[in-house]
Amino acid sequence: MTERLNLSHAVIKYGEIRAIDDVSLTVSAGEFVFITGANGSGKSTLTKGIAGLLPLASGTITRTKRMSYVPQIEEADRNFPARVSEIVLTGTQGQGGFFYSIADKRRALRSMEELGIRNLAKSEICTLSGGQLRRVFLARALCGEPELLLLDEPCAGLDASSHKLLFSVLDRVRAGGCAVIMVTHDASDLEGIKADRVITLSHGRILE
Amino acid sequence: MTELLELLAYPFVYRALIAGSLIAVCASVLGVILVLKHYSLIGHGLSEIGFASLSIASALGLPAMLVSTPAVIAASFVIMFVSQRFRTAGDIAIAVASSAALALGVLVSSLTGQTGAMNSWLFGSVLAVSQTDMIFAVLLSLAVMGVFVMLYNRLFLITYNDDYARSLGINTAMYQLIISVLTALVVVMGIRITGTLLISGIIILPAVTARRIAHSFISLVIVSGIVALVSFVLGLGLSFMINLPAGAGVILVNTILLILVRVIL
Repeated sequence: MTERLNLSHAVIKYGEIRAIDDVSLTVSAGEFVFITGANGSGKSTLTKGIAGLLPLASGTITRTKRMSYVPQIEEADRNFPARVSEIVLTGTQGQGGFFYSIADKRRALRSMEELGIRNLAKSEICTLSGGQLRRVFLARALCGEPELLLLDEPCAGLDASSHKLLFSVLDRVRAGGCAVIMVTHDASDLEGIKADRVITLSHGRILE
Repeated sequence: MTELLELLAYPFVYRALIAGSLIAVCASVLGVILVLKHYSLIGHGLSEIGFASLSIASALGLPAMLVSTPAVIAASFVIMFVSQRFRTAGDIAIAVASSAALALGVLVSSLTGQTGAMNSWLFGSVLAVSQTDMIFAVLLSLAVMGVFVMLYNRLFLITYNDDYARSLGINTAMYQLIISVLTALVVVMGIRITGTLLISGIIILPAVTARRIAHSFISLVIVSGIVALVSFVLGLGLSFMINLPAGAGVILVNTILLILVRVIL
């Protein structure tokens, strides 16, 4: 099975604190991995490390270049002057070109359609609710046709129908060979989908 | 009005009009990114570093642009790096660097008896715009516009969410460097017309005014450029009519437009 992520003996530090301490993780194509743990266990730090936003103090990481990341909290200005379609299209920028192709625009439309936000394409992002905004970020992630999808607490702020929609979308992408890593602190999130593996983090280490 | 048109017969007036308009538009376009990324004070910090470097260059008898351009570019790298690396320390770094640079500039100018030149650097002078400056302003505006057209989608993403861009494998530091260099060049050029104390106004004010009118990134860039152009032309005219320094006239018109937009919309 093709490997999408290989993390070996990773350590991530905040100053002298080892927020991630000797974590190894391999995820293959089409695999669905849940990462769970209490607040402060290092879940978000681990996803940021995998996404390349935090450097490893030691250890190695190899991952596919086609990765999409949906952070727990988007570090961006809610009042930024942008429309939904513009944000979704940015998901295609990992593939190199400076200009969007017709295929990119088609993919953006398809992603918005799939997440039920096609009607919001021209809306300004500042007018959206928290749940709608999460759908926008998911559509952006799917738009890049990722081989590895990294989701940090994607169910936060979603209502029951959005929750169901999210899991049906995740089922579809993993069937297409995309590996999914989903971080959640809420055990009830595990009920909606069949995970291949559930990993529990505690104090930055994987519990055996 | 006729008198104003007659002024265009003087080479220094049309040079100031052409170079100033182009620099104002470039500054406002870059200002959109700086305002949205909450780097509004960078122009102010760089201008005072520019002032210090102009004072030192003049004291040493060196060509002003040759010294101030690399000094301001280097300072812009440092400020951008500190602002990104240590988010809250960015404002502190700008405040420390700008006040230290201003003090150094005043000290050097006073010790070397250049208080007359200091006045021109602080408040600007349309007489200071040479033919070479005008050519440089044309080239600079072509570079800024070229970068915006070619890299529009990248700049949009990096301005919206730098972290997300990095997660996609985009070299965001390189784009920040491009913005830093262009901002530094605009500041160095702008100082000659508006002066050290007012250059940050022509970078920031049009974008802040446009923010009230425009609802997308592209329209923000366009409206900001239009506001900058209108403010510069009217401000320059005003400065000739009531004998004001050009920079003061331009910033005054920019401020009036901002207040009008805030009151009406």
